[in-house]
Amino acid sequence: MKFSSVRYLVKEGVKNTWTNRLMTIASVGVLIACMVIIGVAAIISENVNVAMGNLEKQNVVMAYMKDYSWALYGNGADNKTESDETADKNGIRPSDYVIHNEKEAKALCDKIAKLSNVASVEFVSSEEGLKTATESMLESQKEYFTFLEGEGENPLPCAAKVSMKDMSLFGQTVKEIEKLEGIDVIQSNSGLAEKLSAIKQGVTVAGAWIIAILMIISLVIVSNTIRVTMYTRKLEISIMKAVGATDSFVRIPFIVEGMLIGLISALFAEGLLYCCYRIATETIIKTFGEVIPFGVMAWQLLALFVIIGIASGVIGSVIIISKYLRKEGSEFAAI
Amino acid sequence: MEYVEQGFNVAQSSPIIEFRGVSKTYQTGTHALEDVNIKINSGEFVFVVGSSGAGKSTFMKLIMREEKANTGKILVNGFDLTSMKRKSVPMLRRTMGIVFQDFRLIPNMNVFDNVAFAMHVVGADSRNIRREVTKALSLVGLGHKARSMPNQLSGGEQQRVGLARALVNSPDLIIADEPTGNVDPNMSYEIVSLLTEINKRGTTVLMVTHDHNLVRDFNHRVIMLDGGKIVADNFGGDL
Repeated sequence: MKFSSVRYLVKEGVKNTWTNRLMTIASVGVLIACMVIIGVAAIISENVNVAMGNLEKQNVVMAYMKDYSWALYGNGADNKTESDETADKNGIRPSDYVIHNEKEAKALCDKIAKLSNVASVEFVSSEEGLKTATESMLESQKEYFTFLEGEGENPLPCAAKVSMKDMSLFGQTVKEIEKLEGIDVIQSNSGLAEKLSAIKQGVTVAGAWIIAILMIISLVIVSNTIRVTMYTRKLEISIMKAVGATDSFVRIPFIVEGMLIGLISALFAEGLLYCCYRIATETIIKTFGEVIPFGVMAWQLLALFVIIGIASGVIGSVIIISKYLRKEGSEFAAI
Repeated sequence: MEYVEQGFNVAQSSPIIEFRGVSKTYQTGTHALEDVNIKINSGEFVFVVGSSGAGKSTFMKLIMREEKANTGKILVNGFDLTSMKRKSVPMLRRTMGIVFQDFRLIPNMNVFDNVAFAMHVVGADSRNIRREVTKALSLVGLGHKARSMPNQLSGGEQQRVGLARALVNSPDLIIADEPTGNVDPNMSYEIVSLLTEINKRGTTVLMVTHDHNLVRDFNHRVIMLDGGKIVADNFGGDL
């Protein structure tokens, strides 16, 4: 197709949008509503995901090791029947425990870090563990536990503080850590992990469904506008066909019109969503704390709206006009 | 003379229209045309006459490839319409100009744009459009009304705009479906005179009409249809 024809057809499409302005305004209005709902669903989904991600980061697993403190409390010695090793003053032999020193403990941390779903591992010595435990106590309770600070009195084994990448693989990862030699027990909140994972998945699925349904609605709306335009331009189409217009020549102004409706709606929806989000976040921040700033999502949202708008415009008009041209478009003499 | 079976404009000489054993029966069971054999040579002016239901509209629709024949072969301007694919139909129609009984002017376009519209469809550039539209409007005597809207014109003037639109792409064949049906007798003579003038310049004209006076007075070839068959093929003066 020649450039002059394309220019003419684009101009015709823009002109039709204006000529048919009442229908255009109605379609743009409904499309904006659809896009704003899609945007709200996307924003909520994104905010929930970020919030869940933050919660997940806090939901760490403590993997306690089989070290001296572990043996001291009778865990290792009972299993040994005979040994030529010399026991220390506490009656513990080196073979009674697996992790003998910090080097071995850190090596075990490295092994944990190599597991595929492990995001990070932090070594927590028994002293650090005791310090953290004491700090979490009330001042009045702390004095009862001062004896634990004496040499050989710390009951806490050294540990690995593990955080995971994907909380849906929580259980599996815990089992993998448990299997490693030198791990005694794992302290975790598996219930919370499962709930977080389920909420995240639920929000994602619901968001996807809302977007899909509203995209179909958008398609129907644009198709209807194009159908109305097409019937008002029936005479023009019949003359076009009579003078030898190809199907694409007839189709292009309608596609341009559909695209324009989609594009105008996308721009308005973005602006409206920005205003709504600003007002809403002022209240939300006061109640719930941080939310994702609009600027972070602005371009993605605009891209989403433009894609939805243009896709529904193009697909809707192509479907409608092709159907018309196949059925009635060549019957120009019968109009 | 030989035409190619499948295709395009290879033999640009007479006849411009040829029906070989053409029959058309609609899905409703109506037999519109039955074993029609006819040749119309390039440069001829032919009236197609007949009562309602005689098969005139089907005859024209088959030429414009709005309908397909059930049996037989139709050759128009070098195109074999029986084997022609749908996507090639626009190419056939670009070789013909169509004049409608009800003018078919776009009401929100002025006279100039209504005529130019036919050139936009074939992808002409704006300079060419300006030149050819002006020429076509002058030919039909409406050069001074280029900026008028269709509703500001009389029936005869509107039909002349329709004629200018049919002419603007310089077609080999003009198909006029009762072009005088909606205009007064004086204007009818003017329209047919204009068509005769165009015919003299080499364009083949095929015109459907009910007006026997016109047929008699202009003395062109007349094809008479009745019950889907050609019952007469002679000159207007013989009627």
